[in-house]
Amino acid sequence: MVRGFALTASKLSRTLRLGAGTSVPGLIVQRLDPGYLRRRAGALEAAVVVSGTNGKTTTTAMIDAILTEQGIPTISNPSGANLFRGVATAIVHDLPPGPIGVFEVDEGALERLVPALRPTVLVLTNVFRDQLDRFGEPETVARLLQAAARRLPEGTTVVANADDPLLWHLVADLGAVGFGVRWAGVTPALRTGGEPEICPRCGGTLRYSRRTMAHLGAAACSGCGWSSSAPMYEVVLRGPMRLGPMPAQIDGMRFVLQASGVSNAYNAAAAIAAADAIGVGPWRSRRALERFQPRFGRGEALEFGDATVWLMLTKNPAGAAAVVAQVAADQGIGAVVVAVSDGWADGRDISWIWDADFECLASRRLPIVASGRRASDVAVRLKYAGANPMAVHPDPVAAISAATECAGAGGDIVVLATYTAMLDVRHALLGSRTARVANQQA
Amino acid sequence: MPDLIIVHLYADLLRTYGDRGNVLALARRAEWRRFSVRVDEVSVGQPLPRGPGLILIGGGTDRVQGAISTDLLARRSQLLEATRAGAVLVGICGGYQLLGRRYVTADGTPLEGLGLLDIETTGSSGGHRIIGRVRARASLWGRGFELVGFENHGGRTSLGPDALPLARVRKGRGNNGVDRGEGAVQGSVVGTYLHGPVLPSNPRLADSLLGRALAARIGESRLEGLDDELEDRAHADARSLRR
Repeated sequence: MVRGFALTASKLSRTLRLGAGTSVPGLIVQRLDPGYLRRRAGALEAAVVVSGTNGKTTTTAMIDAILTEQGIPTISNPSGANLFRGVATAIVHDLPPGPIGVFEVDEGALERLVPALRPTVLVLTNVFRDQLDRFGEPETVARLLQAAARRLPEGTTVVANADDPLLWHLVADLGAVGFGVRWAGVTPALRTGGEPEICPRCGGTLRYSRRTMAHLGAAACSGCGWSSSAPMYEVVLRGPMRLGPMPAQIDGMRFVLQASGVSNAYNAAAAIAAADAIGVGPWRSRRALERFQPRFGRGEALEFGDATVWLMLTKNPAGAAAVVAQVAADQGIGAVVVAVSDGWADGRDISWIWDADFECLASRRLPIVASGRRASDVAVRLKYAGANPMAVHPDPVAAISAATECAGAGGDIVVLATYTAMLDVRHALLGSRTARVANQQA
Repeated sequence: MPDLIIVHLYADLLRTYGDRGNVLALARRAEWRRFSVRVDEVSVGQPLPRGPGLILIGGGTDRVQGAISTDLLARRSQLLEATRAGAVLVGICGGYQLLGRRYVTADGTPLEGLGLLDIETTGSSGGHRIIGRVRARASLWGRGFELVGFENHGGRTSLGPDALPLARVRKGRGNNGVDRGEGAVQGSVVGTYLHGPVLPSNPRLADSLLGRALAARIGESRLEGLDDELEDRAHADARSLRR
């Protein structure tokens, strides 16, 4: 009865264009019957929960793709629908027999969802400064993740980022399985946008022996002797940084990640570790990841007239630093759009744009267009970065049109966009605001 | 020696709210007026340069503020000497609290501050943070102007008789959510809770700080006008944001 009513609500919500139909039935389930989710979750063969600041959506989609390729039935919640009701909605729909649930869960929703879902694997991606107005400080988020890890049932595997000192320190004693990323050869250190680098145990100065992006890497404290652990699953990056496919390696096996950038290497490492915890080895995961296409604004390539538009979701300084470095290194880019909005899902405080290294784009003389609801703040940021030429177009289509004119023939456009700005760009380019992860296969 | 040395104290540690933007705003606005500028990032254990014109301390989390407090307190006499020589000292959010006499944590533990501002901050019991947009009317060294920004702080700050509020909030909560005061001024020491970062979208505050610092260093007190079309637009847009 509860389920029938909730599903009708889902259809109604889509018909009335209230949303993507992703969360309304879950909201009803949540109101009518709080124990329902726990009982439905009992029908799952296993559950994987993915949380952390960056990479939740892509890691979840990668794990889903790995399992699907093995012929394992899965259910998952749509991108961004990662609060209690979004997960409840996913479980309300018809379940295939013996499915594995793969869910991305908002850091703030873990407390309610972990006891309900009783996951067999909990994946903790990283802790970066993000949405300070919602969570306060990164330490608060780290403690939320730690509390969730400590609330897990016996026999659960915690998969965590061994390159994130603050996070790793809080879960290492739970027998966590670590994942990490390393550059083969020289290390292009992406320092900007990182968190303060102090020892998670004593507050002393951390020294890094290797570094990938922001505060991620292998570190040791000269004061108390704390040090990072070597990750059990390590993705080694072998090629130059650019947009498009990226050569990588795990356990000595080479593969090509379609989803490029350091952030996606971390997502892949996390997905490989999580899949291994439920019995799918790295060798098979690697093959699935070779076919995994970036989607829903996470390095997605869209067409706009004759130009290719790379849509790069950029939510916080660490993510921005990684994307900016990638864009600056790619000679095929003709112009850049920086679209920043400040809806609830973006965070209302946009001060992080000052920590992103737009100076390195400006020094390449790449034309940059400021866009989004806070286009005028972006314009000021770009002015102080020395960007020239620079234009301001709050509307995403006007911004992308202006960028294609600046870029000229053959130059790709990169759009760095916050969450709601990314939705606006996709809506404008694809005519759809749906938050469903596209089911695309290469 | 350059016309202006800007010191960014603990740039690597107190950097939670885009504080680099404040330094960039000060440096560029001086350079655009053809003053020579040098920015020194000074962290734990590193000496302050001689003759700083502007010293900026940004915001950080409690954990990070704890990690720098010993180093900061050891610099008290040097900072006092610099401000007596006319240097402008600016603290933002956590940096503002550290400039005060003391900080009492939510569980009642008093932590000593620099005492360069006659203010005292108490951590809120129950962890309720003051978070939201701010619009305020500032009064600084005889000039009045409007400020816009974003506040996000757990501490409640009250001013003693030697400090004056930097501004009166029209929207938002300010120092303590009670007396409508925002920030504090005492001589050439200025503190504020405002993020944004505050200086790029409030060029009149940036220029007031620059003007005072340059006057003390090279006797230059009048700053020529700049084309602030973009800054003014960002200021006006921030002003009209509802939530």
